[in-house]
Amino acid sequence: MSYPDIALGLILLGLSAYLLFGGADFGAGLWHLLSRRREDREVIEHAMGPLWEANHVWLIFVMVMTWTAFPPVFADVMAAHWVPLSLAALGIVARGSTFVFAKAAPNRVYSWIFGVSSVLTPYCMGAVAAVIATGGSSWQSLAGLYGGVLTTGLCAYLAAVYLIWDGRRLGRAEAAERFRTCALASGTVVGLIALPGALTLGVESPLITASALAGVVSLALLLLRRFLAVRVTAALATATVLWGAAGLADLDLHSVAAHDAVLQVVLIALGVGALILVPSMAWLFVLFQRAPKQPAA
Amino acid sequence: METFAILADAATPADFAAARQQMAFTLGFHIILASIGIGLPAITLLAEWRALRTGDRVYAELARRWMKAAGVLFAVGAVSGTVLSFEMGTLWPGFMDKYGQVFGAAFALEGIAFFIEAIFMGIYLYGWDRLPPKVHFLTGIPVVIAGLLSASFVVTVNSWMNNPRGFRLVNGEVTEVDPIAAMLNPNTPVQAAHLLLASLMVCGFTVASVYAVALLRDHRRGRPLDPYHRRGFAIPFTLGAVCAPLQVLVGDWAVRHVHEHQPIKFAAMEGIEHTGAEQPFKFAIFEIPGALSLMTTFDVNGVLRGLDSFPASEQPPAEVVRIGFELMIAIGTALLAMAAWWALAWWRHRRGHEGLPYRPWFLRIAALAGVAAAVAMEAGWTTTEVGRQPWIVYGVMRTEEAVNPSPGLRFGLYVVLVVYAVLAVATISVLRRMRRRPERERPAARELEVVG
Repeated sequence: MSYPDIALGLILLGLSAYLLFGGADFGAGLWHLLSRRREDREVIEHAMGPLWEANHVWLIFVMVMTWTAFPPVFADVMAAHWVPLSLAALGIVARGSTFVFAKAAPNRVYSWIFGVSSVLTPYCMGAVAAVIATGGSSWQSLAGLYGGVLTTGLCAYLAAVYLIWDGRRLGRAEAAERFRTCALASGTVVGLIALPGALTLGVESPLITASALAGVVSLALLLLRRFLAVRVTAALATATVLWGAAGLADLDLHSVAAHDAVLQVVLIALGVGALILVPSMAWLFVLFQRAPKQPAA
Repeated sequence: METFAILADAATPADFAAARQQMAFTLGFHIILASIGIGLPAITLLAEWRALRTGDRVYAELARRWMKAAGVLFAVGAVSGTVLSFEMGTLWPGFMDKYGQVFGAAFALEGIAFFIEAIFMGIYLYGWDRLPPKVHFLTGIPVVIAGLLSASFVVTVNSWMNNPRGFRLVNGEVTEVDPIAAMLNPNTPVQAAHLLLASLMVCGFTVASVYAVALLRDHRRGRPLDPYHRRGFAIPFTLGAVCAPLQVLVGDWAVRHVHEHQPIKFAAMEGIEHTGAEQPFKFAIFEIPGALSLMTTFDVNGVLRGLDSFPASEQPPAEVVRIGFELMIAIGTALLAMAAWWALAWWRHRRGHEGLPYRPWFLRIAALAGVAAAVAMEAGWTTTEVGRQPWIVYGVMRTEEAVNPSPGLRFGLYVVLVVYAVLAVATISVLRRMRRRPERERPAARELEVVG
């Protein structure tokens, strides 16, 4: 495997992480917007608390890796799609800040902006991704519309699946039950959109088959109330769509890759960084699952 | 890549100007948040350390509040930083296309540092009631170190833009890329030191100014000064005061470096019109004959290059650069004087002479110091960046070659201005509300019974 191959693999891994963690956050924002019940919103806010600010780091990682490893690709994509990507960036600003604001000083306007920008951002990014994958030109094309809706739907589905377990962990059985309904509904809708789309766009890869299988298994697990197992299959069903799209784009990156000297330095740095990052991230996850020692009054 | 070929055309002047303004505005916004994001964890840890050592509840309370504010500001800083990485591509694709790989490694390192900062910020914030106090204190240390590192790596890229190294241009193609040499360009240490000190000063004086206002209110109401306000003032103000004299030394080093490597920027900063010996030191309306030559070359007869020795097409907007530079120097000097005053008062206080200078007139000036430090930082940043024009990579690539040629960039600027204005107002109002209702907060997390 050459350096550009490793770099591309890391970019796709970063994108997958962003889709799975960040995407679930966006989806949670969507359910926050749609939900009318205070209880459900509390579960959503609590579930999103600790990790959301680390999530955009995945996106920054993907962008930095892209411009370092494949500078012309980054320049080309960003220049051509500056409108939807700028909207996505502003969505991230609006979302991230209103989330902390709403927590520090609750306000209805904040939570409304939070919800709307949670939908806007994945829509724009999904639209751009679909246009790149299909070789289209504009995010306003049919492919763009499709990619935007599909991505937003995937985020909503992932979020609902994750939230069921969070609701139960927090002792909110009724909320968890409602999230289960959301997960079943959004999962079905996303599946109905995804499969015909994949066939129309000619994505004939084992990845799409895997995605479809994982999706069907997920719905079955939801019906059977296996809420931890479904987290895994739902993630699998979603990530395979991304990898399928990358395969569809048929990227030949070798001609535009950075010099090996650059990639070498970056990969070594990432390797060393991972030695610190992975354990500390695991600690953060573990810590958050733990209750406060003495509940503060 | 096909669509990229259109970049050979220049953008319309209005869109080009809008792209520069948008970058300047979003960076100028981010730089303030980032400064406070670097400094606030440091003063939080100082307060927590005092609390652990002395068992003093006031320090513990200060640490808790500063940590919460740091959490909010870190979040806003993280998203405004994300916007900047989008803008690198949406506004300056020509730059990223050609040189992205040369300085990319610095950004990769920055990304790692920032990731570590974010994770430990999460651990520190959420570990407050979940970890033993000493362990909790220790988890704050990586936040501070990673914050300083990540800022240094970002500055590395800007240093490189001012002093490009680590590549060769052969027939317009970038070859022989050496990312380490690009990072370790001679400008990096001085520019990083200058920015880190500036960040700590901005944060120290800004936080102190909040408590200066509170102490003034105590005075006005004829109350004894609240120990909470006194300590909330003393910790950050001392941090700013310690950095101020160091900054003067580093600043002098920085100016000498500019003189050596970017003579045209130096000429613009110092307002040297014509090349010659015995250059006067000019400041606002004052002029000391021969002093600038003496300060720069240690010789009154030292020859300094003036703007007239460069073609007009390579000159930056000299007025802007000079005013930015003078503003930074003026504020820096005033802050140094305040630092000296504080140090003297502290020394006399330690010898039992009198109390610290919590008198109204001192506090009034201190209340302004926060805004002043931020203005100085923006002015210094303007000097560096406008002084680099018309180059995006000094001497190698012109800014207009880098810009996105798409029409309509100026509409992007308008949207950004509106969103950021709202963001700024909201951030300040949230921080104010947090200040007003300190311990009655009852977040959702506390209401929920955690059973898992």
